[in-house]
Amino acid sequence: MKYFLTSLTLLVFACASFPKKNNLERSYGDIPTVINPYFSNLSKDYIYKAKINFAEKSFGGIFVVKKLGEEYYRVVFTTEMGNKIFDFTFIKNEFKINFILKEMNKKILVNFLRKDFYVLIHENPKVLDHYKNLGDTLFTETRIKNNTYFYLEEKQQLHKILATQRGKEKSQYIFSEVEKNHAKQINIRHKDIKLSINLKAI
Amino acid sequence: MRNLLFLIVLIANTSLLFAQESNMNNTEIAEFKAKISETSKATNTIQSNFTQYKHLDFLSNDITTQGKMAFKAPNMVKWEYTEPFKYSIIFKGDKLIINDSGTKSNMDLGNSALFRKLNQLIVNSVKGNLFQDSDFTMSYFKSQNYYKVIFIPKDEKIKSYIASFILFFDKEKADVLEVKMVEPTNDFTRIVFTDRLINKPLDNEVFSN
Repeated sequence: MKYFLTSLTLLVFACASFPKKNNLERSYGDIPTVINPYFSNLSKDYIYKAKINFAEKSFGGIFVVKKLGEEYYRVVFTTEMGNKIFDFTFIKNEFKINFILKEMNKKILVNFLRKDFYVLIHENPKVLDHYKNLGDTLFTETRIKNNTYFYLEEKQQLHKILATQRGKEKSQYIFSEVEKNHAKQINIRHKDIKLSINLKAI
Repeated sequence: MRNLLFLIVLIANTSLLFAQESNMNNTEIAEFKAKISETSKATNTIQSNFTQYKHLDFLSNDITTQGKMAFKAPNMVKWEYTEPFKYSIIFKGDKLIINDSGTKSNMDLGNSALFRKLNQLIVNSVKGNLFQDSDFTMSYFKSQNYYKVIFIPKDEKIKSYIASFILFFDKEKADVLEVKMVEPTNDFTRIVFTDRLINKPLDNEVFSN
């Protein structure tokens, strides 16, 4: 019986929502929108020196994002010498692989990259709720393609996106060194796969 | 009047540009190849600055990077990028040594047939010695300032990655001035060499990270 109660408590705690687990307090009033402005400028070429670590392998290169229209983006990764490693197009809900090097063409990796880049470029996620912690961080709960994300803002500036599943944090997208809506540094971390992406604007 | 004069000069220059390139005839090709072969044989080391332009059609501007290139016969090449980031890649026989802003890694080129072929092409193009390669069909052009050779790979796998290599040679010295790798989508990488030093002693140490 004792074991049953302990496991039940554990189960309830494990299933608790992300805000509850993190002692976030729900904010009342109008639900504000949240905007990710970091790849929103049509006239800007976003160029980053990139390091992608996957399992025990590391791929260095140049990461390029270009907004070509409303919900229309090209995302390209090349080696430093200019050889293309992958080239993706995102148009609304569609995803197209224009090119991918055979060595990188692993379904699990492509799915993670697709998901990660979609989060990075997605400007106006659907807002569900918003919360505050003890500090000054505003947590906006959003939904992108049936996944739940928390957008963390301080002083009205987005600095982190947390991907969650069943109340647990799965991935982090961290934006730093922000100048005029341009995040000079972006780091993506995953908890359940050995994949990390580090971007530094050049 | 001044505007009219400017327009005439502009048109004259533009038409000159268009008229600049023409096909080389068989005698010219033979002479050119002999000259290249001579230069290539006499070249033991090359040190040069380079500027790389990565052109992606959808971008507003090419991505520009700069650095230094070193070559030592028979098969060592180092590309050292210094701007806007520090990165070096050394091709040493079948080995590839990378130093990415302090993170060092070795990669066996044998892992990727494509990269092995690319390395061979890079070494040969730096030396200007791609003509022995039966893996390409070649076409030859000349202008007032340069010779231009277009190499089209015969291998379908390479062709799906690089549609053509274009090399520009100095007419006097038969040195490679510029290498252009054109992808099937017409995106390209262009490397322009400047301040070239030939056969200046170069220590083997340069080719280790």
